[in-house]
Amino acid sequence: MPTKNDLNYSYYPGCSLHASAGEYDLSTRELFKALSIGLTEVPDWFCCGATPAHNVDELLSLSLCAKNLELADQVEGDLAVACAACFSRLKTTQHVLGESDLKRKQVEKALDAPLKLDGKVKHLLEILARDLGLERLAQSVKKPLKGLKVACYYGCLLTRPNDVTNLDCVEAPTIMEDVLKAVGAETVPWTHRMECCGANFTLSRPGVVIQLTGAILESAKEAGADCVMVACPLCHGNLDIRQKEIEGVYNTHYALPVFYITQLVGLAAGLGADKLGLDALIVNPLPLLKEKKLI
Amino acid sequence: MSRIGVFICHCGENISRTVDVERVAAQVAKLPGVAFSTDYKYMCSDPGQNLLKKTIQEQKLSHIVVAACSPRMHEKTFRKAVEAAGLNPFLCEMANIREHCSWVHEDKQEATLKAIEIVGMMVERVKKNRVLPTITVPVTKRALIIGGGIAGIQAALDIADCGHEVILVEREPSIGGHMAQLSETFPTLDCSQCIMTPKMVDVINHPKIKLYSYSEIELVEGYIGNFQVTIRRKARSVIEDKCTGCGVCMEKCPVKKIPNKFDCNLGMRPAIYVPFPQAVPNTPVIDRENCIKFKTGKCGLCQKVCGPGAVDYEQEDTLIVEAVGAIVVATGFDLYNITEKPKGSPIKGYGEFGHGKIPDVIDGMTFERLASASGPTGGKILRPSDGKEPKQIVFIQCIGSRAREKGISYCSKVCCMYTAKHTMLYHHKVHDGQAYVFFMDARTPGKSYDEFWRRSIEEEEAVYIRGMVSRLYQKGDKIVVMGSDIAVGVQVEIEADMVVLATAVQPQKGAELLAQKLGISYDKYNFYSEAHAKLRPVECATAGIYLAGACQGPKDIPETVSQASAAAAKVMTLLSKDKLEREPIVARVKESTCVGCFACKKVCAYGAVEEKEIRDRQGNLIKVVAYVNPGVCGGCGTCQATCPSKSVELDGYTDEQIVAMIEAL
Repeated sequence: MPTKNDLNYSYYPGCSLHASAGEYDLSTRELFKALSIGLTEVPDWFCCGATPAHNVDELLSLSLCAKNLELADQVEGDLAVACAACFSRLKTTQHVLGESDLKRKQVEKALDAPLKLDGKVKHLLEILARDLGLERLAQSVKKPLKGLKVACYYGCLLTRPNDVTNLDCVEAPTIMEDVLKAVGAETVPWTHRMECCGANFTLSRPGVVIQLTGAILESAKEAGADCVMVACPLCHGNLDIRQKEIEGVYNTHYALPVFYITQLVGLAAGLGADKLGLDALIVNPLPLLKEKKLI
Repeated sequence: MSRIGVFICHCGENISRTVDVERVAAQVAKLPGVAFSTDYKYMCSDPGQNLLKKTIQEQKLSHIVVAACSPRMHEKTFRKAVEAAGLNPFLCEMANIREHCSWVHEDKQEATLKAIEIVGMMVERVKKNRVLPTITVPVTKRALIIGGGIAGIQAALDIADCGHEVILVEREPSIGGHMAQLSETFPTLDCSQCIMTPKMVDVINHPKIKLYSYSEIELVEGYIGNFQVTIRRKARSVIEDKCTGCGVCMEKCPVKKIPNKFDCNLGMRPAIYVPFPQAVPNTPVIDRENCIKFKTGKCGLCQKVCGPGAVDYEQEDTLIVEAVGAIVVATGFDLYNITEKPKGSPIKGYGEFGHGKIPDVIDGMTFERLASASGPTGGKILRPSDGKEPKQIVFIQCIGSRAREKGISYCSKVCCMYTAKHTMLYHHKVHDGQAYVFFMDARTPGKSYDEFWRRSIEEEEAVYIRGMVSRLYQKGDKIVVMGSDIAVGVQVEIEADMVVLATAVQPQKGAELLAQKLGISYDKYNFYSEAHAKLRPVECATAGIYLAGACQGPKDIPETVSQASAAAAKVMTLLSKDKLEREPIVARVKESTCVGCFACKKVCAYGAVEEKEIRDRQGNLIKVVAYVNPGVCGGCGTCQATCPSKSVELDGYTDEQIVAMIEAL
């Protein structure tokens, strides 16, 4: 569908954004609308396979992503992905099938169709920081996030492995900080922005997640952050939903709201709390945002 | 009429297993021009060579074909034998029926037929071989050494002691190199300066050594035995002949706080300085970027206080040309810097270690300066950030090295040993401290090396953890080291006061630029390449240029000194001759057809092509043609392939010879 926007993307929300991370989906759509960036959901998309598929059957995981990439190819524009895990799986599929003729043939056989793998897969961060650009992003700011000290949390999958995602410097990225600085926020230097939160062990080994996520929250708090920003639904789940439990285990108090990147940038773009799904966050962000006069 | 002798070698069973050598000999005997043909078990052996010599004389042979291994293996051997029998050595050719035939085929019938063809080709070729006279070139009996570290110093002293003049060029204000920076050296823990400085003094006092410190190589021209080297003597702003080295200028200089590179920026120096007290020459240099006189025109204090009037602000760079017969390159190494992440470089940097922004994370050389009695802390191990003594210290090996994903795949060779040494020095100086070492492997081949490493664990209480470190971060005044212990299979976290990284050994910055000036080759890391990894390890492929020390690859001191002495021995061999003999495989221009387009000059990698004027008897210029200087020509044949009028040919590889080979097929 042609639009009047100069930036247009096909959009792969992924399962989480249609379920537990509904506010990530909502804020992404609203933010892109506010920034006049076209976003068309890939018709009939389905699960990328996430962690389970590639642990069980490589051909299955590659085929799931390859089929989604093929569907995305029918919509105008590069493919915009919000979830770090979907991003990782889609990029990995492109990388693996680009390197191995054998696997490519296997997937083509499974899908019964020739593969086209040259479409670009982009994380929202890349779209904001590079395609739209920091300068235009800064111009779109209606309410600078002045005085808000944010700990940007990258997690594992956005930059790793480097030759697959090519998002930023693998161990010392700055793309999140760049985006937030462009919208007027203050970012804190901290130690655990690249550490693992425990990811989907949250269901099978919650003790591990409490330990790992606890260290991340501790480090953010120590660095003087008011809140944490993420770009991954699973990281969000661990940092936000498990926060109260972690506070109990370690007998401490963090009260660190955990925002999605689109929520914070959306706030700066002048969107209201209702359009950003702020009420869906477990650690209530409203007192902080009121204190900073951002809502 | 040629009387060609063909000798077919069995090479033990290497050839005869797959090639019916007797049949080859019988077949080849029928070829026109072949007067004699035989086979023998080992042609290269003494009896084999004697058979060759005897047959040449008995059968009055004019040309020889030895069908055996690759000419790279034994061409020289057989040509020497042929020469001993009174023939011109270039009338002998080798037919390669081992690498090109027996080793790569299984079917004896087919391999035999192929061997017959190969030998037949060489028979046709050798018929067209001409007598080539050996080329002689004069030798300038002086050597140039580039780099005044331990490698350059050792080579210079060896060559000079042999009676030849040596020009030693050092880029820095003082010779001594990295070895002068070290504290104590493994595996005997003798003080580096104590064994180094006497050698430095020997250099400056040696009547045969001319030292150009604070100088660089500008241009290298010429060829083996006859190099002309232009040296840039950078303006020191102090006249070396007048300076007495009293040091008053350094005391009076009002600028005091410039980080001293020699002390890895831990100590400070004035704007007029010597890098360290034992510097050779003990002549200060003015750092013009930081000197008030050069920045504002005011001050001039050093000139006022200099008794002998040695300070000269007007001094400029000067260029000197020196003629030498041989060159030893000994430019040494530099340590990989984790703060660097140069654009476009395959080397990726260490973001997980904070890109070098944590002040108490230092490299091995900085630790050497801390541990050195003449260092900025007087030999006390103190943290750069707050001057406190670290009670928990973590050493991490293989930083940059052996990390393909970081861009460097090689082993830096010296780090295992110097880290073991560091743990000892630390233990000797901080009795209540604990040293940890993260390591992948302990590589300790060398005399008394493994015992030394064991000692650091068994007697000096270092805790070795097999595994790598994933992250370093500052937490309060501690550095958190997150790593793994793969022997136990657990994650390890240590709160350290100081971390020492054994960073990779790399060639000096700009190594590739010097290589281009010299016309020598280098690998993808810019280490200089030796002519043969095993059999010619100290020579460059470019004749007359030799390698010593870590510029060729990571090396410790004993190995560097050995290589330097080896390079010196090679130089002395070269300089022992009045004239040099060279293989006459050089290009020759047919002046009658050369049109003087000089396409050959453009492609010549050796700079061997000159312009030659052809004049008649009255002296009128008829034309300008190409002339190949046989002393410089490398015999690569590029000009032959390039020449549009087919006027230049490589002796021994003429078109006529190649065509004869093809026609024989």
